[in-house]
Amino acid sequence: MSMRALALCGVFAVAPLALAGCASDTSLQANASAAKPGEVVGMRRLTAAQYRQSVADIFGADIKVQGRFEPEVRREGLLAVGAAGAAVSAAGMEQYYAMAASIAEQATAEGRRAKLMPCQPASAKAADDVCATQTLQKYGRLLYRRPLLPNELAARVKLAHAVSTQSGDFYAGLREGFTSLLTAPDFLFRIERAGSGRPVDGAMPVDAYARASRLSYMLWNTTPDDQLLRAAETGDLLTPAGLQAQIDRLTASPRLEEGVEAFFDDMLQLELFDHQSKDPAHFPKYSQVVATQAREQTLRTVVDLLVRRNGDYRDIFTSRDTFMTRGLAMVYKVPYASKADWAPYTFPAGSGRSGLLTQISFLSLFSHPARSSPTKRGVALNEIFLCEVTPAPPGDVDFSQVNGDAATVKKTVRLRLEAHATDETCASCHSMVDPPGLALERFDSLGEYREFENGERIDVKAEMDGQIFEGAAGLGMLLHENPRAPACLVRNLFASGAGRPAVGPDKPTAQALAKTFTEGGYRLPAFLKQLAANPALYTARLAPAPALPGATTKVAARSPSSLKETGR
Amino acid sequence: MRSSRFNRRSILRGVLGGATVGMGLPLLDLFLDGNGAALASGAPLPTRFASFFWGLGLTPTRWEPKKVGFDYDIPPQLAFLEGGLNKKTSVFTGFTVGLDGRPSHPHWTGMAAIMTGQCPVKDKSFDRLNSFDTVISDAVGGGTRFRSIEATPFRGATSSYSSRGEDAFKMADDSPLALYTRLFGQGFHDPNSGDWAPDPRVLVKKSVLSTVKEQRDVLWQQTGASDRARLEQYYTSVRELEQKLDAELRQPAPAQACRVPEAPVDLPRKGDVPTVAYNNKHMCELIAMALACNQTNVVNYVFTPATSEMYRPGDTPVYHAHTHEEPIDGKLGYQPISSELADISVGGFGHFLKTLDNIKEGDGTLLDHALVLGYSDTGWAKIHSIDNIPMLLVGGANGRHKGGQHIKVGADPVTRVSLTAQQLAGVPVGSFGTGSMATSKPITEVMA
Repeated sequence: MSMRALALCGVFAVAPLALAGCASDTSLQANASAAKPGEVVGMRRLTAAQYRQSVADIFGADIKVQGRFEPEVRREGLLAVGAAGAAVSAAGMEQYYAMAASIAEQATAEGRRAKLMPCQPASAKAADDVCATQTLQKYGRLLYRRPLLPNELAARVKLAHAVSTQSGDFYAGLREGFTSLLTAPDFLFRIERAGSGRPVDGAMPVDAYARASRLSYMLWNTTPDDQLLRAAETGDLLTPAGLQAQIDRLTASPRLEEGVEAFFDDMLQLELFDHQSKDPAHFPKYSQVVATQAREQTLRTVVDLLVRRNGDYRDIFTSRDTFMTRGLAMVYKVPYASKADWAPYTFPAGSGRSGLLTQISFLSLFSHPARSSPTKRGVALNEIFLCEVTPAPPGDVDFSQVNGDAATVKKTVRLRLEAHATDETCASCHSMVDPPGLALERFDSLGEYREFENGERIDVKAEMDGQIFEGAAGLGMLLHENPRAPACLVRNLFASGAGRPAVGPDKPTAQALAKTFTEGGYRLPAFLKQLAANPALYTARLAPAPALPGATTKVAARSPSSLKETGR
Repeated sequence: MRSSRFNRRSILRGVLGGATVGMGLPLLDLFLDGNGAALASGAPLPTRFASFFWGLGLTPTRWEPKKVGFDYDIPPQLAFLEGGLNKKTSVFTGFTVGLDGRPSHPHWTGMAAIMTGQCPVKDKSFDRLNSFDTVISDAVGGGTRFRSIEATPFRGATSSYSSRGEDAFKMADDSPLALYTRLFGQGFHDPNSGDWAPDPRVLVKKSVLSTVKEQRDVLWQQTGASDRARLEQYYTSVRELEQKLDAELRQPAPAQACRVPEAPVDLPRKGDVPTVAYNNKHMCELIAMALACNQTNVVNYVFTPATSEMYRPGDTPVYHAHTHEEPIDGKLGYQPISSELADISVGGFGHFLKTLDNIKEGDGTLLDHALVLGYSDTGWAKIHSIDNIPMLLVGGANGRHKGGQHIKVGADPVTRVSLTAQQLAGVPVGSFGTGSMATSKPITEVMA
């Protein structure tokens, strides 16, 4: 065993339970060409939702997380994949620090101490290293999603000691210890390390702690709980039976709904609501409340159909069942008789509404602030539900032929878009993305139903994949029968869990999983159990090392003092 | 409130080792030397740098001066230069972006080429390169609370166009109140007030960050090459936060032009012209004071993102849609609404400049001690052209910039302007850019 591996196993072994997966010389050598056990093979920055939920589960749901999170990065259609390449900027670090300090302050507040503390300090007015160690060890394990290394723990205990002593307040020291843990990269990033198992399809297996994290964030969107961490510590999680036991436990919990919600919030790009803007001159019914409820409406619809009713995934394109609030009912122009905040609602047949594509969320997010956009909707539909990315428009396009002059402006979007057919370069993409968008044109930029645009009756006939259809209901039926839609969901679920797109060497795995999903009748809960039991989900593929980053500036002369000044 | 038994006396005794801290210092011109160009200590007034981006370029035929060289005519779209700013401004026309076989990503490639010297292979990426403002920040950003400040008056555009690599773009404050709080909230100390004392909480924060940094070497050893750059960026951000804390522990030198602004009120989040203009007004004032109060020396400002969705109240299409869809008016020879929105965008730049120029500092104005690059993403947005992207350098750069000129070239790379900006800002840089955009030729005509 190498010195480094020995050191790693050694330091983890002092934790309450020995590190699972400390490997023999043989297994280390077998994987030497890729990554050695214990080496970092992935860093996934916590999403805002994961950060919030982790804090709530560790310190209490009443802890307020106040601050701005770094903008999240969407890659390969998912923030979950973008998180694997996300960094922390200086402004982001300021925010993370401020949030950490605020959380630590609240967690150690007087009224919470009885619940928080696993021990009683000898005095509330002095340092107590024993109790500080016990407390920081307990919460550090939950925050880091693994036991703290001895030096990691010792550094926090030392900090707590110094602050407690100087301030005469045991809890002030503890507070700063928590702040330090909450600011560390090991909390802000899900740092994944290589395990010692055999490669799966050429990919490195991750260790038991990374396995616990992937399982927990995928199914519950939160940090691994005590039971899961214990299964990782004993190595039980690395065995098929141990893994299955945890999968059964997590999927049987109502918290599965949180994991499903988080996944669809990401896949459907609902975070765009955070920055949505609608011109009130056109849409007086729009407000931040409506936006928030529209987001929740979609998530409630998905969870109800796929989890609570164990429905067919493909029905998200056709179901008229949803949930309504008074504010949303005004936009949908439907009656709202309930006295409750939310009430189940089924759109009548012939209403033109059909599945998620006709909810305010999709219709309004993929529109301009004051005008619908068949192209935006078509591009989004292809990417989100079919995993088909539309190439960016060419650099030099002259729209003069499309728009004509002031005297010949086209009255409807359809007429304007059809003019693209005169340009072969434009037509190649627009013929793919516009038809589904045109079928949704009876819904304006907010999602309200309409029949006319600038006095012209809106034509919602369209053709896709050689099939002619009409309106949202026709589009919904077409997508319902499109095998690429469930296959796309499977690809996204795998990518979200593993933190990498299901492409290249992972493609066969995704195809096999899609077959499983189909054979299972497109039922999500059962499929999630199968996905969670697939060894490929717990592997990492090392990306090629990037070229050294830096500007293309060549500095003529730089003194040692200037280097010191920059701290770089 | 956090309970704490720290007080100033204990800090001074126990942490600062008894170092004396001056109190009740007089202000203003007393601290400038006889020429007004340096602090009385002999240290020169710092050169500040700002990049100011607005989306969707300008209107061809309406922004290029006809006369080349000094005393150029002021075209309609640069009307904000009237009244003296033209003498402090270099206008650059005729520059282009060399694709070198790479794709031209609409509304991205032009901006990326100016900031990194290379056309990125991937859209919405800098191909992991730094933007050149970070090189300037490394050279002149030390000693202040913030190495750089990023902001945008367009709510929701929270990613700036400044990056230290890894395609991680610095987060921009998008509300005036958030920007105010960051700059002048907790941790800010009025450099001209006489009651300075170190805040003991800052020392505790430094101790917390020290524990975070202790694990760096171990983690670095365990991390593969593909993740090391991001890990390093994390620790760079920690160091920047430490620098902020260090600055807060030092008694700030008096700053002649510093006037602590009032906290602004945020409007509801909208992208219409009046809201953007309101935010811009307040943010310009805040940033000017951040520079004058020595809180930062580098600013990256995005007036509107490249595909600007700013709109006129009640108008159906947004600005970006107008640029592609609006017909050219036969009589005017251009798109009138798009041009109006371009006027508003570059007018926002003008407001930024005037705000800096209205602040007296030493022998001139804040703008005289600054260099501002105004630039965009396209030459003519209607066709996504990356030729002749508007670029202007404004400000005296502490006497280094010889403004008042219109520099017209025949398809030279935009990187010549980027290189010039770096040299004027005081970076000892010899060349910039790659491929056909590699250059070691700054525009010497504008260098004093």
